Amino acid sequence: MSAILSAEDLNDFISPGVACIKPVETLPLQDPQKQDNAYEVTTEEKVTEQSHPPAQISLTDCLACSGCVTSAEAVLVSLQSHAEVLNTLDAHPVIEPSRLLRQYVDGATQTTDEGVGDLDEDGRLFVASVSPQVRASIAATYNVSEVEAGYMIDHLLGARDGLASGGRYGNSFTWIVDTNAMREATLVLGADEVLNSLGQPLPPLSPTSTQNPLTSSPPKPPILTSACPGWICYAEKTHPHILPHLSRLKSPQALTGTLLKTVLSQRLHIRPEQIWHVAIMPCFDKKLEASREELTDIYWRPSSSASIPASTRSPVRDTDCVITARELLMLADTRGISFPSLPRTPLDLTQRPPFPDPVLSSFLFPPSPRSTRAQDPSAGTSGGYLSHILSTQLALHPNATLTTTRGRNADVTDYTIHAADGTSLFRAGRYYGFRNIQNLVRRLRPPKQGRSRMPGARVPVKSELGGKGMEYAYVEVMACPGGCTNGGGQIKGSDVREDVSAKEWLGRVDEAYFSLSEAESEGEEHEGGGRVDGQEHSLPQRSEKAPAPPTIRTILTHWSTSTGIPLEKLAYTSYRSVESDVGKEDRSGAQERVVEIAGRIGGGW
Amino acid sequence: MTTSSTAGPVSITLLSSLAEPSLHHTWLTAAHPTQPLVATCSSDKCVRVYSLKTSSHLSTINGGHKRSIRTCAWKPGLKGENVIATGSFDATVGIWRRWDNDLSLRRSDVKMSEEDFTGANGNGNTDEDDDDEWRFAIVLEGHESEVKSVSWSAGGNLLATCSRDKSVWIWEEMGDDDYETVAVLQEHEGDVKCVSWHPEELLLASSSYDDDIRLWREDVDDWGCVSILRGHESTVWAVEWEGVKSTAQGTSSTENPGIRLASCSDDQTIRIWRKIPKEKGPPQSKLSIIRSGSIEEEWVEDSQLPRAHVRSIYSIGWSKNTGRIVSTGGDGKIVVYIEDQGSWSVLAENDGAHGVSEINHVCWAHMGDNREVIVSTAEDGSVKVWAI
Repeated sequence: MSAILSAEDLNDFISPGVACIKPVETLPLQDPQKQDNAYEVTTEEKVTEQSHPPAQISLTDCLACSGCVTSAEAVLVSLQSHAEVLNTLDAHPVIEPSRLLRQYVDGATQTTDEGVGDLDEDGRLFVASVSPQVRASIAATYNVSEVEAGYMIDHLLGARDGLASGGRYGNSFTWIVDTNAMREATLVLGADEVLNSLGQPLPPLSPTSTQNPLTSSPPKPPILTSACPGWICYAEKTHPHILPHLSRLKSPQALTGTLLKTVLSQRLHIRPEQIWHVAIMPCFDKKLEASREELTDIYWRPSSSASIPASTRSPVRDTDCVITARELLMLADTRGISFPSLPRTPLDLTQRPPFPDPVLSSFLFPPSPRSTRAQDPSAGTSGGYLSHILSTQLALHPNATLTTTRGRNADVTDYTIHAADGTSLFRAGRYYGFRNIQNLVRRLRPPKQGRSRMPGARVPVKSELGGKGMEYAYVEVMACPGGCTNGGGQIKGSDVREDVSAKEWLGRVDEAYFSLSEAESEGEEHEGGGRVDGQEHSLPQRSEKAPAPPTIRTILTHWSTSTGIPLEKLAYTSYRSVESDVGKEDRSGAQERVVEIAGRIGGGW
Repeated sequence: MTTSSTAGPVSITLLSSLAEPSLHHTWLTAAHPTQPLVATCSSDKCVRVYSLKTSSHLSTINGGHKRSIRTCAWKPGLKGENVIATGSFDATVGIWRRWDNDLSLRRSDVKMSEEDFTGANGNGNTDEDDDDEWRFAIVLEGHESEVKSVSWSAGGNLLATCSRDKSVWIWEEMGDDDYETVAVLQEHEGDVKCVSWHPEELLLASSSYDDDIRLWREDVDDWGCVSILRGHESTVWAVEWEGVKSTAQGTSSTENPGIRLASCSDDQTIRIWRKIPKEKGPPQSKLSIIRSGSIEEEWVEDSQLPRAHVRSIYSIGWSKNTGRIVSTGGDGKIVVYIEDQGSWSVLAENDGAHGVSEINHVCWAHMGDNREVIVSTAEDGSVKVWAI
């Protein structure tokens, strides 16, 4: 008990998760003969001679385990790197979609869904998706516009003078899509989800159907944004009580992945694992999102279609790999390509094979760069979920006004829609950054649970904060202060110039992010939301029609009917609580032992 | 000035042992900011409040935490009520309230015998028993691992907490028992051992297993690290600010041009750090105008105290009255240092102050009649009061 009487080396720090604690199911069998001689001295060499089968611990095991969550996450993140992109490009011959399409038209492959035979068995179809925040980061770095940054990325990933200029097969990405396409779908469905949770009628999904199928069990209000993987991981590990509030919608990255894998595998008659989808994202945690089992083909593939029994196939991710803006530059560098020298003009589209679905082709590859309200300054830097929901609600209430109140810091904002007579119709909030998330989750904690944390305590002075009504219908939650343009994977200002502060730099990235909406707003087909940077005003230009263009609903219906997969399976996902022990439950044995041992080796606590 | 570890003519003499002690090990004893009261936290999940005047047990905080209570702090600036924040290995921080009732004064004035202090007193006001108890007000959750230290800002509206999860959190009391997280500071690379607010400025110091000390201030609407104090070669167990000099003394004094912080470490050193005031001759009023966007501050290691410990130094106290520093640690010694003309020497030391037990904590406390004492808290559960 006393260091004076005990060991010399005192070290109180027991790292919470250096070692994997997952019990390995198949313990290595030892050769019984070798244990015969009880008196034999075992040497180091003999120990290593025993050949143990390698322990098999899957990534899903890791995600579900609390023992070394952080080290498991580190592994997941490191498995998706720019090197992994190059390795994959070099490991497989490319599948030429034009050839598959021709064969499909000829009817030659009608009988099989196993691709076109042995020739392409090992082949891969490479597709990429790029987030607008990454384009903004590149734009700020090279002082180009967001659109030009997009062209540079297209050239790197898809042109002959890009990645295809090197490597074993000279491979490159056949299609490069903008995640803003599917973001529009998430905005429309996200607003529907809020309508549904408030019991407001949903618009029909398509002109031909009167019903919107997405009416089953909406999340509990307030609905919280679920597109931020950092926030989701934290909530699942630490605050299971908020899981019922999470929007069930997939993120734009996940939805893009599902779209590409479902449509391409069906139209081209190849297996999902033959399509390799890389997403370029502003955020490292998107790699964790890509690793979620909920975002693999086992959640959507039709059970009847696979000729191989589903149980023997391992899940195929909808997004196989995520790299960040910084890693994109490393990717170019590793291939010996000067990123800033890449052309700032559109790719030669005659080189690109037609996307094997004309409806989706015009949706994914619009003739001019997509102008989206999501990148309006009032929508923030994280995709504009809240902004779209507010304009949807405003459209429901003529003469209503929107009041914006800044919270205790720049990352907290309150939004209230008031009727003309002043009654409050709708409340929403924006909470960015870990510290503000703390205050949100505390308020959402059920009062009972809050009190039970101090079971034997004397009379509580008052009940938990949960008693204070949380009238929000929706809260846009992002883990990064400043939102997604400030993601951890973005190029840092200090990488570019020494004299630029982090704040100034973020301002420049934001400016690039919003530049598209300013440049293109003239020709916008749907009405823009009002700016919410003032104290109180109504959104101008409110239109009679729903703020979302009906084309999105048509596209979603087309996607579902043409693939034969219900839209719920395509667009929705789920969450699960990941048990974390520390400070949560009474870890009877292990915890006490650790305490005891630590106490013994010194007063380090 | 001297490297001698032998005690000078001054000695550290035992006044009393606080009774009844915890039967489990005790971590820390926090002195009340104005009254002759101390609160001792123990691994038996209790905090015991003692009167220094009578050396006896007055009240107990219990029933809240699931694991050892590692740390506690009295909220400053209150009248009529006492508030204690507790930090536990169960990863939570508790806030506890108790009506003052002048209980300590009443008891110390009466100087009653021991049996009066464990329950309701002879007046039999059992109906008001609850008023004599510590009431659990709120639990602050957020840390993911053991809480190691808590500290109230001078104004009492901010509470800093730190944990083995490597983070420092700042909480603000928005109203009665309504706390909001205002900052989560995650720059430390190891277990954060100690947090301490400057006695006047909104300046927070934290020390860690990563051997660093970090200083934090609010910048616009977020908290940021303004300086990293590097020099210790092992875990920095504790940090303690120098008291703020009275203004008359402060303006005339040229010896201490910057605010100072003391730190103690597993490397067996105690270091004094000093802020270099922003250079430039003109008076301070101009500096604030010139102040650039950068919030960085320049801090230097001012001096090291004479080496007197042979094991890890767990705790230090810097007297706000006399400017003396007291230290203790794994070697079971209590050492008092005195500064003269910017040079530190050992004033007195006591070897084996708690027998063979390690001493986890030491602090200065007021006896009430202008007398300052040292309170030491040992691994074996004993808490002793010393005079110098």
